Amino acid sequence: MTTARIEKLDRLIEASVSAREAQTGSLLRQSFRRLKGSPMAVTGGVIVGLFVVVAVLGPLIAPYDPTAQTWGKEVFLNRNIFPGPRAENWFGLDHLGRDMFSRMIVGARQTLLVGVVATLIGFLAGAVIGGVAAASGTFGGRWGERVEAVIMRTVDVALAIPMLLLALSVAALLGPSLSTVMIAVGVAQIPIFARLLRGSMLAQAHSDYVLAAISLGVPKGRIVVSHILPNSLGPVIVQATLVLATAIIEAAALSYLGLGNPDPGSPEWGTMLADAQRFLSGAPQLAIYPAVGIIVTALGFTLLGEAMRESLDPRLRRQE
Amino acid sequence: MLRYTVKRLLQLAVALLGLTLLLFAWFKALPGGPENQLLPENATDQQREALRAALGLDEPLWVQYGDFVGRAVRLDFGSSLSSGRPIATELADRLPATIELSLAAMLIAVGVGIPLGYLAAKRRGSWLDFSAVSGSLLGTCIPIFFLAAMLKVVFAQELGWLPTTFRLSAGSTYTEVTGLRVLDGVITGEFDIAWDAVLHLVLPAIALSSIPLAVIVRITRASVLDVVGEDYVRTADAKGLKPSVVRGRHVMRNAMLPIATIIGLLLGSLFAGAVLTESVFSFGGIGSFVYQATTERDYPALMGFILVIAVFYVVINLLVDLSYGLLDPRVRVRS
Repeated sequence: MTTARIEKLDRLIEASVSAREAQTGSLLRQSFRRLKGSPMAVTGGVIVGLFVVVAVLGPLIAPYDPTAQTWGKEVFLNRNIFPGPRAENWFGLDHLGRDMFSRMIVGARQTLLVGVVATLIGFLAGAVIGGVAAASGTFGGRWGERVEAVIMRTVDVALAIPMLLLALSVAALLGPSLSTVMIAVGVAQIPIFARLLRGSMLAQAHSDYVLAAISLGVPKGRIVVSHILPNSLGPVIVQATLVLATAIIEAAALSYLGLGNPDPGSPEWGTMLADAQRFLSGAPQLAIYPAVGIIVTALGFTLLGEAMRESLDPRLRRQE
Repeated sequence: MLRYTVKRLLQLAVALLGLTLLLFAWFKALPGGPENQLLPENATDQQREALRAALGLDEPLWVQYGDFVGRAVRLDFGSSLSSGRPIATELADRLPATIELSLAAMLIAVGVGIPLGYLAAKRRGSWLDFSAVSGSLLGTCIPIFFLAAMLKVVFAQELGWLPTTFRLSAGSTYTEVTGLRVLDGVITGEFDIAWDAVLHLVLPAIALSSIPLAVIVRITRASVLDVVGEDYVRTADAKGLKPSVVRGRHVMRNAMLPIATIIGLLLGSLFAGAVLTESVFSFGGIGSFVYQATTERDYPALMGFILVIAVFYVVINLLVDLSYGLLDPRVRVRS
């Protein structure tokens, strides 16, 4: 079949779908409209937006160098004395005499990076595994079904290992560092994404437009890539937003277990929180700042993800 | 029902076999094998070879795998590389503490979560609903080790209301029966020991229950909301049944299905969360053991631990699936 003809077929199918959508607006536009009206989505969006802005601008808006031990002489480690909030250091000093406020601002970037990279690892690897399973199960004939069965049973088994343990095993494999934390948290998410994308693709595979594409003779690979896949990504993207929150928290837990880099060149909230545990009774503020940062950020991503999930839920959509 | 049970048991066997294969491949891929751990850096190649032979590492992979599965079935996971004691013994010694902690946390989560979720759904849109939902969102976002540490600082160290660490006060003598100390205290009649153990459990259990509590509140709320909209609930109300009968027989019985599933799934993850909580409170369960095994690259110990936890997890899920038959007559008919 020539490419021109395939493209024509594609357009035909899309046209038949969009004719119906023309009356109500596309699914995406509808969902977005609902998102704007939801206080959950707006709160989450504002938090995430602020966090991203701080993460991007970080070093530019921080008043001091986050790694400079400028006030080292004012800190008495052995007596647990750390200057608290004051005019020149809004959040006080940490255990090495560094400005906590600057560290919090600059730390946002690494924290975002850990979350995003971990989620991307889980998302991409999971999408490939789940996508291959769904595609071969739907179009691969008997052998394809076997491939799917083997892949999905393996995924089920991986799901049976609690996430933190999976992450621990990966961390054991790679030794302690910040990239270990990212990979460990990411790998632990792979089975979840694989499951989700496969389920979502299987649901699409039995829909009318796929049947239409098959009967028009569109090649199977093309049906999977340009029809089923784009329509199946919604729930997976929602999950990715929720996983971003989990990833940031899990990363902090791994740092606490001593698997992160103890004091990396650029600050990161999870590591800061883990480090501060030592001074918890004398200087709880050192833990509370990064903890609040992590909690608020995770809450932002969770709110946004939950609101997106609701806006994509077909049962709620019909009520409009 | 019997056929269904047998089918599920077969699936369970296949899943566990797959898990052993996955675990075996995983730990074979780890760098820095045990021979580097046990021998000094300047060991000769001959010494290394001798040790590999002694540990069975020079056999073909499939022989090693068969050996591994064969021993795992007999609960023989080898000896811990760091302590030298059999791993099964290490786990058996520590598992009761973790089980006690997990059960206590689950008790809090279920005991508070289901009524709270039910009330939130019943009074949808009220301040109670709002605070239950936002509280549960917040609950999933707090790093559990931070929550545990803050509880410890505030209620144990500053206020002094509860003990800071360990499972019993120092110097208390205690007769071991099951290893679950609250239960043991009650069985042997040493009620002061039981009470002491309860006091030591409170803070870790609250910390560990934060995530399951949050999840159970939300699932219960959603599930009850689904059910109260059903026609049969309206019918039951309309024909004048007592509210308590409608609640018990019509609403909660049907709402319990998703809740039971989630409780099963959460129990497995609780064991993992216990690793973090236990290390904050020096609780002496498997948490510290796992942490040590990870940092010291004690592969056999980690492998045995993951296998045991996975078996727990899979068996719990099987029990949950089977409980559907009890909870939902439709499942019984279909199978």
